[in-house]
This record gives sequence, structure tokens and C-alpha cells, in this order.
Amino acid sequence: MKFLQVALGILTAIGGFVDIGDLVTNGLVGARYGLSLAWATLLGLVGICLFAEMSGRVAAVTHRGTFDLVRERLGPRAGLANLVASFLVTALTVTAEIGGVALSLELATSVNYILWVPMVGLFVWLVIWRVKFSILENGAGLLGLALLVFGFALWKLHPDYGSLVHQVFVPQKPPNERLPSYFYYAIALFGAAMTPYEVFFFSSGGVEEGWSRKDLMIERLNVFIGFPLGAVLSLAIAADAALVLKPRGIEVDSLGQIGLPVAFAAGKIALAVAILGFVAATFGAALETGLSCGYSIAQYFGWQWGKFVRPRQAARFHVAVLLTLIIATGFVLTTIDPVMITEYSVVFSAVALPLTYFPILVISNDPDYMGDKRNGRLMNALASAFLVLIVVASVAAIPLMLWTRAGQ
Amino acid sequence: MSEKPHGRVFDLSLHLLDRQVLDRDGRMVCKVDDLEFERGADGSLYVAAILVGQRALSHRIGGRLGVWIRSIAQRLSTDDVPRIDFAQEDDIGSAIKLGASRDSLGVAPLEDWVREHIVSRVPGSRHESE
Amino acid sequence: MRASDLIGREVVGADGARIGVITDLRCIQDGPLRGTQAALRVDSLLVSRHHTGSVLGYDRERQRGPWVIGALVRFLHRSMHVVPWSAVEDEGPPVRLRPGPRITS
Repeated sequence: MKFLQVALGILTAIGGFVDIGDLVTNGLVGARYGLSLAWATLLGLVGICLFAEMSGRVAAVTHRGTFDLVRERLGPRAGLANLVASFLVTALTVTAEIGGVALSLELATSVNYILWVPMVGLFVWLVIWRVKFSILENGAGLLGLALLVFGFALWKLHPDYGSLVHQVFVPQKPPNERLPSYFYYAIALFGAAMTPYEVFFFSSGGVEEGWSRKDLMIERLNVFIGFPLGAVLSLAIAADAALVLKPRGIEVDSLGQIGLPVAFAAGKIALAVAILGFVAATFGAALETGLSCGYSIAQYFGWQWGKFVRPRQAARFHVAVLLTLIIATGFVLTTIDPVMITEYSVVFSAVALPLTYFPILVISNDPDYMGDKRNGRLMNALASAFLVLIVVASVAAIPLMLWTRAGQ
Repeated sequence: MSEKPHGRVFDLSLHLLDRQVLDRDGRMVCKVDDLEFERGADGSLYVAAILVGQRALSHRIGGRLGVWIRSIAQRLSTDDVPRIDFAQEDDIGSAIKLGASRDSLGVAPLEDWVREHIVSRVPGSRHESE
Repeated sequence: MRASDLIGREVVGADGARIGVITDLRCIQDGPLRGTQAALRVDSLLVSRHHTGSVLGYDRERQRGPWVIGALVRFLHRSMHVVPWSAVEDEGPPVRLRPGPRITS
């Protein structure tokens, strides 16, 4: 029984790792830079593992959500700054995910994505309103495993694995690409892997599912096995693009082009599976980000939050989620290119990262909250090193974006 | 030097302000947005009540932002700032526990309004997601 | 009077020299019975030159690591005074103390 629980958690973590940000950024980067930026994805992976472990541990030990503790620890002013920045970035991510679901449905049905948008928004809200939390999370995560078809396609392409591995571990910027753009996309990949909402979703989700100290081992297995495998999946998406799109000089500016290598390597049915994966991954992420917006506001103000109580008992929380979804859906309906929204959302995620991760570092160190489960020295050393890295990426992101005109 | 205190010691900013307030059933009530003092007979200050809500919080945020939040909040409600008398407080730990039930407190007018006018009208609001 | 009025308020000595700002209020639960518990009595003021970082708790002994942040905050709070409420002459603003020695923690 325990084994099934662990397996489910790991599979959900793999399928849930990839969202529209990872899809678009890895596909785009693979087609342009090959695997020479894989190191940025791997760095992001290490970072998200560290911080997801900390947030999950905080939830299991304190039974409290992130923003609840952030305001306590940092005070109302810093907490509010944190809330506003996190909320805006996460709301932008919700917008990108809703756009992503609509684009995926367009791929599946050839019906214009705009027509799908209102229905997607409604359906996301409906699932958050009615579906039990664990079903919501596990369902989307498991269906997202359809993206494994990218690994299958990679295998079918019979690549020179040695050459691929060499590209990953001895990165070389392609000669015709400029260094600023190279680092701009490194930050984008980093921001796509280390999404800020993951921290509050993981910790709030832990409270939703009633994690306690005895669940810590399972939580760690989910993170340290599930996430790396999810990152491998992201790299497979990049590798497919590198092998099929890059030699042909095809640049990625639509979701369909990201699926192209799968169709090329493994046929129409494989493409259909990939599209199913797109829908599942983006829909799942839309649920997570929508909930995260509600969690952050409700926890800062001390409102009752969560799906573990009846909606009537958490009225403001559910209305906050509803309003976020309405605004996000409206934004997608303005017909701004969803792929472009996604690209901006990952860069702004990188900008907001220090604000969202610093409080978790402080809280997971606090013996008053964590008791004997506070950070050990190794964890602190790694997490502090990452904090420096995050600050560097955050500070460099906007200047690079302006300088390279968003990566041109 | 004063004698050793024979009551528990709390630093307000560290231990009380911004803490989650729970009712006797462990349900979330609010945050300690501010604290109100009253003067004792000997001139000492005693903690009298927890102040709740955006207007109370705006004083702690301070500056122009605080003033702006306060002006919006005042437009939405002209009643007194919601308060929980400290007599209701039962235990101070990682959260502040009250001896009363959440529904008897009446410190969340927005929650009540939203529940009545929006959430109750949507089907399924009474069921736990199952 | 509210906590938000006092916290952040300037504190000056009897001679008018600036000592710092109130960063926290230390209370002892030894007042008259209120409900089921004794009332919290304001016993002393925690005064520092600067207001930053006090709620992070790094100026109190118990908080540990990450080392750099703790060191930075302790540096900012190298002169934190614990001023008994009885030493307060006038609540201000600014808070004026009676003449006499202050206690440094």
C-alpha cells in the first residue's frame, strides 16, 4: 500500500513537472541552441528540488501555508510586497496556462483557440470548485505522463547519445548566436523550471492533504525522484527539437511546432498522445496556479482557505480564485499571442524568485516553527548558494530582456 | 534590575502580531492585524483586544500605502474596526487560540457578505469536495 | 492606543538625545485576570537604532542560520536596549525617558 502511494506521488511529480512554460521554453531553446543550454534546466531542477523539499517540510511540520508564515516572520509590509509580486507573476502564469490549454485543444480539434478559451476558464474553475484535491492533483499529473511520448520519439530518432550527453555537459554556445541572448534564454529556462507558485502550491497542498512528520519520507521521494525525471522529460522535448527542427532551421513560435518532432519520428498516433500530454500538463498547471493565487491572498489575510473545508466555509478564498480566473481568461481573450505570454511569464518568474524563496529559507531554519526538523548545515549551504544564483538571475533578467529585445 | 517575572513573557511583534487566530475548533478566524491597549489603574498598559481587518492592518503597513488602503477600506465600511476582546484568548502558541467559536465573533463582515451574496448562490457550496 | 502607534516610535533620552526606535514591546502575563488568562502587561520596550530585520528574530538569541543574514541583522542591532516601562516619562511621540541609566541587553 505504501509502495503504491509512493509510486503515485512520483508519477504525479513527473507528469506535473512540465507546464506550458517548460514546453515552450525547452522546445524553443532546443530548436535554436540544441542542448547547449541544458545546464540551465538542470540548475533549475536542483533549485526547485531544494525549495520544494523545504516548503513541503514546513507544511508537514507546521500544518500552515507559506503566506501565513511569511507574514508572521517578515511582517505585514514585506509580506505584502511578497504577496503582490508573487500574485502578479502567478496570475500571469495562470493566463499562460489557460492559453496553453486552448492552444492544445486547437491542435487536437482544429477549432480556433480563442473559441476554447472561455470554456477552458470555466472548466478550470469548475474542477477547483468541485473536485477533491487529491483527485485533481493526481489526475492531471498522471495524464501528463502522456508527454513521455517525447522520450519515445527521441529513441525513435536514433540519436548519437554520446554527442547529446557531450552537448549537455560541455555546453558550447552556437557560433552564430550572441552571448546576451544565450544567457537570456538560460534565465528563461531557469525561471521555467523554478516556478514561484510551486513553493506555495507544494506547501499549501501539503496542508490540504494533511501531511505530517511521518509523510516526510514520501514527500522527499516525490521530490528527489519525481522532479529529476520530470526534468529529463523537459530535456527530451528540447532534444527532439534539436534533432528535428534545428537542422531545418525551423524556429519555434507555436505549440504545434513543438509537437512536430514527435509526428516526424513516431507518426500521427504519437502526435495525438503528445497533444493529450499538452492538454493534461497545461490544464493541471492551470489548476495549480489558480489555486495558488487563492492560497496566497487568503493566507496573507488570515482567511479560511483550502479545499479541505466546504466552499461556504472559505467564501473569500473561492471568490479570490474565481476573480483570478476571470481576469486571466479575459487577458487571453485579448488575442495576445499565448506563446508570447508564456515567454514573458517565465522571465518574470525568474525576476520574482528571490522574493518568494527567501522567506521559505528563513522559516525552514526557524526552530520555533520547525523544531528538530529545521534545515541542516548541508541544506543551508546549498540553499544559500542557490539564493545567490537566484538573485543574480533575477537582477539580470530584465536588462537582458531589454538588451536582446526578448531574445532576438 | 526588576525581579524575575512570574508570568509568561511575550514580545508583541515576534509572538502576537501577524499570528493566525484560530477558534476553539481550530478553524481559521483572522490574523492579529493590530493590538489595542488599555490603561490600568497604576498607569500600566495592558493588551485589551485584537484588532482585525484592512483598516487595522493599514496602520501597520504605514506610509502612503497604508493611508491609501485605509481610505478604500473606510469607503467600504463605516462600522467600528472589528475587534476581539483579549478575554476571548485561550492560548498563545504558534497560533492564537480563542475560547469561542468562529461564528460568534462577527469579525469577518467580508466573509459573511461574500458567502451570502456569491458563494451560496453557486450549486455545490455546501458539499465537501468528495 | 495601539501597538502600531508605539512600534516604530522614536525614543529620546532625558537629555533629548536620540536613542533609537521601538522595535518591539515585551509583555508579561501577570496582570489582572481577563477571561481565562491573566492580562498581558507591557513590561519593557525593545529599542534599537534601526528598525530593519527585527521581526526576522535574528536579534534574539534563538534564531540560527543562514549565517550571513543573522550576522547582518545582528550588526544592525548591535545596540539594542531593553527599557523598562517605568523609565518612560512621556509616551510621545517621541517617547521620552526619565533621567537615569538604561539597560542594554
